Amino acid sequence: MKSILKNRSYDYIIFLALFLVLLPIGNLLGIISVNTISLWGRYFCFAIAAIGLDMLWGYTGILCMCQALFFCMGGYGIAMHMLLDASGEGTYGKAIPDFMVWNQITELPFFWEPFHYFPLAILFAILIPGLFAGIFGYFIFKSRLKGVYFAIITQALALAMWLVFLRNETMLGGTNGLTDFKQLAGLDLTATSTKLILYLVSCIVLIAVYIGAKKLVNSKFGKILVAIRDSESRIRYTSYEIKNYQLSIFVIAAVIAAIGGMLYVPQTGIITPGRMDVKASIEMIIWVALGGRGKLKGAILGTLLVNFLYSIFTSVLPGSWLYVIGILFIVTVLYLDQGVIGLPQQIKKYFSKQKSAKV
Amino acid sequence: MTKKRIAKIIGLFLTLFISFMSFAQPNDDVYLLMSSDKEAKSKALSRLLTSKQVVTFPVLNAINGKKLFTYKDTLVTIGEKNNTEEKVTYQVIQLYPEIKTLTDANSKVLTLALTDLKAIKFSRKERLSITPLLPYINLTSIDKDVRKLAYTQFQNKSQFSDLAILKKAAAKETNTELIRFANETMLAIQLKNSKNSDSQLKHITALEKNKGDNTAFILNTFLENNKYLEDKVQTKIKQSVTNLNSRATRIDWIQNLFSGLSLGSILILISLGLAIIYGLAGVINMAHGEFMMIGAYTTFCVQEVFKMLAGGSLNDAFFWVSIPIAFLVSGIFGLVIERLIIRKLYGSPLQSLLATWGVSLVFIQLARSIFGDLTSVKAPSLLSGGWHVAPQLVLPYNRIFIIVITIVMIVVTFLFLYKSRYGLRIRSVTQNRNMSACLGISTQKIDVMTFFIGSGIAGIAGCCMTLIGNVVPDMGQTYIVDSFLVVVTGGVGNLIGTIIAGLGIGQFTKMLEPVFHAVYGKVIILGIIIFFLQFKPKGLFPPKGRISDD
Repeated sequence: MKSILKNRSYDYIIFLALFLVLLPIGNLLGIISVNTISLWGRYFCFAIAAIGLDMLWGYTGILCMCQALFFCMGGYGIAMHMLLDASGEGTYGKAIPDFMVWNQITELPFFWEPFHYFPLAILFAILIPGLFAGIFGYFIFKSRLKGVYFAIITQALALAMWLVFLRNETMLGGTNGLTDFKQLAGLDLTATSTKLILYLVSCIVLIAVYIGAKKLVNSKFGKILVAIRDSESRIRYTSYEIKNYQLSIFVIAAVIAAIGGMLYVPQTGIITPGRMDVKASIEMIIWVALGGRGKLKGAILGTLLVNFLYSIFTSVLPGSWLYVIGILFIVTVLYLDQGVIGLPQQIKKYFSKQKSAKV
Repeated sequence: MTKKRIAKIIGLFLTLFISFMSFAQPNDDVYLLMSSDKEAKSKALSRLLTSKQVVTFPVLNAINGKKLFTYKDTLVTIGEKNNTEEKVTYQVIQLYPEIKTLTDANSKVLTLALTDLKAIKFSRKERLSITPLLPYINLTSIDKDVRKLAYTQFQNKSQFSDLAILKKAAAKETNTELIRFANETMLAIQLKNSKNSDSQLKHITALEKNKGDNTAFILNTFLENNKYLEDKVQTKIKQSVTNLNSRATRIDWIQNLFSGLSLGSILILISLGLAIIYGLAGVINMAHGEFMMIGAYTTFCVQEVFKMLAGGSLNDAFFWVSIPIAFLVSGIFGLVIERLIIRKLYGSPLQSLLATWGVSLVFIQLARSIFGDLTSVKAPSLLSGGWHVAPQLVLPYNRIFIIVITIVMIVVTFLFLYKSRYGLRIRSVTQNRNMSACLGISTQKIDVMTFFIGSGIAGIAGCCMTLIGNVVPDMGQTYIVDSFLVVVTGGVGNLIGTIIAGLGIGQFTKMLEPVFHAVYGKVIILGIIIFFLQFKPKGLFPPKGRISDD
């Protein structure tokens, strides 16, 4: 905190004042609806995942196209816990979730068992994506896949896992996903106070993840990541084991995404495979790219911006969103290399160039 | 009063006389059905029913289906329906003395509206009187599936007395598949009713030779129902069944191989352009699938234009015309996208990946708002149906066509790249852009041309895709990830690698599908590719030389 104030970074203060003070107080006073609060809470969850992606892509230069998969894995973990927590309260009054009753399943599948207990569920929801990313990443980085190859392989992974989650026999709800949650850790999910609490928790976790990520990228570890991005072969010649660094950051990004997903699901009340398809992952990349990759602030700003635009456009001009996001992709890549965060600098540079040209 | 009576009596005598004269031949009875005299009509019908003449069955079938008409003094029924804007017309099929589709003066298929035909009506009772004969009548139905079902029913009944009618019906059969069915049915009946082992053996051998669809089942049931068969008959049956079963698995295998080949050729057709473009410009074109979609919609548009020009009916020529048009239109779209967007992103694959993804989203939404969600192209009649290679082995013509066009495109692409001057330039820019520019090659021109060709090939792929599925806005996205996998596995930018990888992935997918579900097949394929990349991280044919380093 001290260092933040010392740097006279007003954007931090604005962020904190707006989202930690003004919005919650506005809600308590009845000016801001609980839906708006919940909406921003969800955006924070996306921003958490975007920070992970930024560390991967912006700092290490690995374009991962399956970040939404890890996001959803965390989400599914907490969703499974919430369903089991509410078991017995479903339409059929059985000890298993409703969708299993529809699928003529009588016994709880074994991999659902650990999700009965809240701490264990959280542990598993983080552990499983981390482990999955670890195993997958180990093989990918061992064979020195990078750049385009890595992007395409992760894209194929996202597609394959999406198809697997769509199936009914994987016991994860199929196309309909998991929904109809009642409570989380004893809190009634329909209550306004719970929504506010979840919002505050998301906001605080986002800040914590940001501070942690900032520490990480500023450490020696982070410097090596940037070096890998800039020239992989030179770092290899200086006898750094690159694949370990890549694997670590890949797993860290996956875990961060899973944390985002875990906070996201209680706020939306549903998780479907639609959240983890190829499109969803690529959209996460545009959040980072638009905000400004290689800057953690940019990832957060981009996420909030794109999602805010999304909710505006889908309510005002339905059907136009694909045009908007498509053009955003093109414009960002072509003209906003530094993202929105780098825009002032870019403009300054442009004008100084013109000046020097005139002189 | 009396005059009317006399007339009636004379009429009755006349009909009696005629019917007496013609008792042996159904000829006149059939024509009597056209008479306006109700009684004569009904009597003729009942005589036709008792005589059970196979020649008359199609007529009876039409009566049963309330679809008997007269047209120019022949008994006809209506066939395929043709909808045009003004009216609904049907093909006209003559029923007697033989079944044939009528043609007009220009020997084109005759289509008429229902008002041009005179319907012959029968009472419900009369129609019901046909019902007992239905199993026989259906043997000569104009509908192929009904005939097939009819034969199957006789297989289950297997009465010796039916054999004579079956033989006559089979003699009229022209469809090879149904002839096989008819033979199988007759042989099955003969087998069931044969008493000594010699004739049993003879029929079993004939059945095996006939290679019908149900033969293994027929032989097995025969074995089960007859406990006291001689040993040599039993062993013969068992041997025949194993032969037939191993043949069935072989055919399954060939069919899988074929569908793998066709999937592989679709993947190759899409990846070909991707590989050329990546090799040349270092650009990952996520919108490549959308160029395919554009090709498909072009085909649809060409179809609609042809329909409009011909006033409703559709000539098969539209499809052949649409192939070059799809190439052109997709190529032009590719060219424009290259000029506007991709030109600025050369050599930065990840950036281009994102920008072209944006392009693809815009294209999808554009297609959706212009064409709606679901449209389809009618495949030309030449490509419908399949090639009956052997009994039970049918290779659909549309798939064969796709394989052929893929081979043609591969050959043309190779000739273009390796035998033409432009191809030489493309290869030189691919190898070393700066050096080529120094030697006086206009790299920009080469880029534009390559994009035009690469996108055009995708357009042809889209044109082919209309043969096997609907035209939907996001049809490109279904294949894009797979075709990227093909490019990666083949070695980015390498054409031979792309072809081998495309065939391999197509083949693997179809081989895994019967064992696992298609979804898990996909997961396994991904696993195999990742495993493969452990040993060959740059694909099958990695680029060589200094430029391959980062």
